[in-house]
Amino acid sequence: MARYGLLISPELCIGCRACQVACKSWNQLPADKTKNLGGYENPSDLTPHLYNKIHYVEVPSDKSPMRWLFVSQRCMHCDDAGCMKICPSPGALFKTKEGAVAYNKDKCIGCKLCVAGCPFNVPRFDEKDKVTKCNLCSDRISNNLPPACAKTCPTGAIKYGERESLISSAQKVGYEKLYGKADLGGLGALYAFKDAPKLYDMVENPAIPETVIFWHNVLKPLAYVGLGGVVAASLLHYFVIGPHKDEKEVGKHE
Amino acid sequence: MSKMVRKASVAEILNHWVLAISCILLSISGFGFLFKIEFIGSLFGGFNLMKTIHNWVGVVFSVSLFFSMFNWLKDSLAFDSDDIGWIKVAGGYLSHKVKVPPMGKLNTGQKFYYVALLFFGMAISISGYIIWLLPGSRNWVLISHLLHNISFDILMIAIPVHMYLASIANPGTFRIMISGTVPLEWAKKKHPKWIEEAKLD
Ligand code: HEM
Ligand code: SF4
Ligand code: SF4
Repeated sequence: MARYGLLISPELCIGCRACQVACKSWNQLPADKTKNLGGYENPSDLTPHLYNKIHYVEVPSDKSPMRWLFVSQRCMHCDDAGCMKICPSPGALFKTKEGAVAYNKDKCIGCKLCVAGCPFNVPRFDEKDKVTKCNLCSDRISNNLPPACAKTCPTGAIKYGERESLISSAQKVGYEKLYGKADLGGLGALYAFKDAPKLYDMVENPAIPETVIFWHNVLKPLAYVGLGGVVAASLLHYFVIGPHKDEKEVGKHE
Repeated sequence: MSKMVRKASVAEILNHWVLAISCILLSISGFGFLFKIEFIGSLFGGFNLMKTIHNWVGVVFSVSLFFSMFNWLKDSLAFDSDDIGWIKVAGGYLSHKVKVPPMGKLNTGQKFYYVALLFFGMAISISGYIIWLLPGSRNWVLISHLLHNISFDILMIAIPVHMYLASIANPGTFRIMISGTVPLEWAKKKHPKWIEEAKLD
């Protein structure tokens, strides 16, 4: 099946946060108590009850004191997902047939290793220490409905569809370089940025931590190659060179 | 019956088996996590329970590793020139014709094994506690995850070698961890300096 994803266009976003509300509504997430931090962004970070948040970036402007950039922050549904790579519990995190990175709370053991594996600081944990995050409304998309955020967005700043056609539609309107087109095997969430990703507070060249890659490529195979190797070497030693015969020799002296 | 001498105290035998059994349980569940093996998960009653067991057996392991220092550290650090000779002939394991230098209570290989076990056992314990108790602190967890797995690989190589050498490769050794005693004749051959120094003859 073709891979599905989101195309996020900050240029079209008016910061209304209807997506934030729709996400909470569909996923039945309670409101968070927040603090006034002097800006319009609220809450200031993803929480266990907030899977999608509009980040308000204030940048300098020629015409007015400042300019706003609105960016939907959420799980990127990485192709090569660091969270899945490091997770020790089978089935806790999994790929849906559309390519979303979803989760099964019953299988999650609450070790929070996924936090260390994720390049975007996405996974959060509920009261029972089970993983929560955007799952691309996998219950909706499996029934051919767009995710709640994309369904609600009044301007088309969040679009859901086949990843390839999202890419070509963005290219048609001039976004040659999409953020997430190739990173981590291709992100499920693509961003049409006019400026450098840094300006939008996005991680530049996101990558799975090198220690996790080394662990996956070297340390994991070494665990069974090493164990199997010494077991085989011991057997070989036993049959080719043989055990020490002191016992017998001691017997002879007696 | 030949005369027997005590090589391991009851405390040592107890310490050894608590350490060994906890370590084996940790290793099996560790493999289950490492390769997401459903079968191992089901042996421990599912992955959720396996995590709890792995963490608390880890406590047993680290505490018994701590006590092991009182039993084996002193003898394991007693290196002398005979150890160099032992290394040169590879402990006599590659040929039965070479002459192995006289050994004390522990031979060179046993000393190295204990020092390695203590070092990597502490590394795997400390990193395990960090992964367990500081979840979500990304940099601490990343470095601990790396350390936990490096130590795991080294232990998975060292421990089977120890098990082989302490059992079928050296007949007569295994009983030290059962009854604690060995025949004097055997001890004189394998650990002459120990018998001499402790005046057990
Ligand atoms: C011989 C001793 C031990 C062995 C062989 C061992 C082995 C392993 C292995 C292979 C993993 C999987 C690593 C991964 O998925 O990346 C693991 C995970 C883990 N270990 Fe250990 N470990 C040992 C001792 C300990 C100790 C002493 C503790 C701390 C109490 C500990 C706590 C953990 C934790 C918290 C995890 C992460 C997964 C989980 O939460 O279960 N381990 N261990
Ligand atoms: S917290 Fe849950 S989802 Fe995250 S790595 Fe651990 S088992 Fe996997
Ligand atoms: S953004 Fe993080 S949580 Fe989402 S798929 Fe990628 S690694 Fe996993």
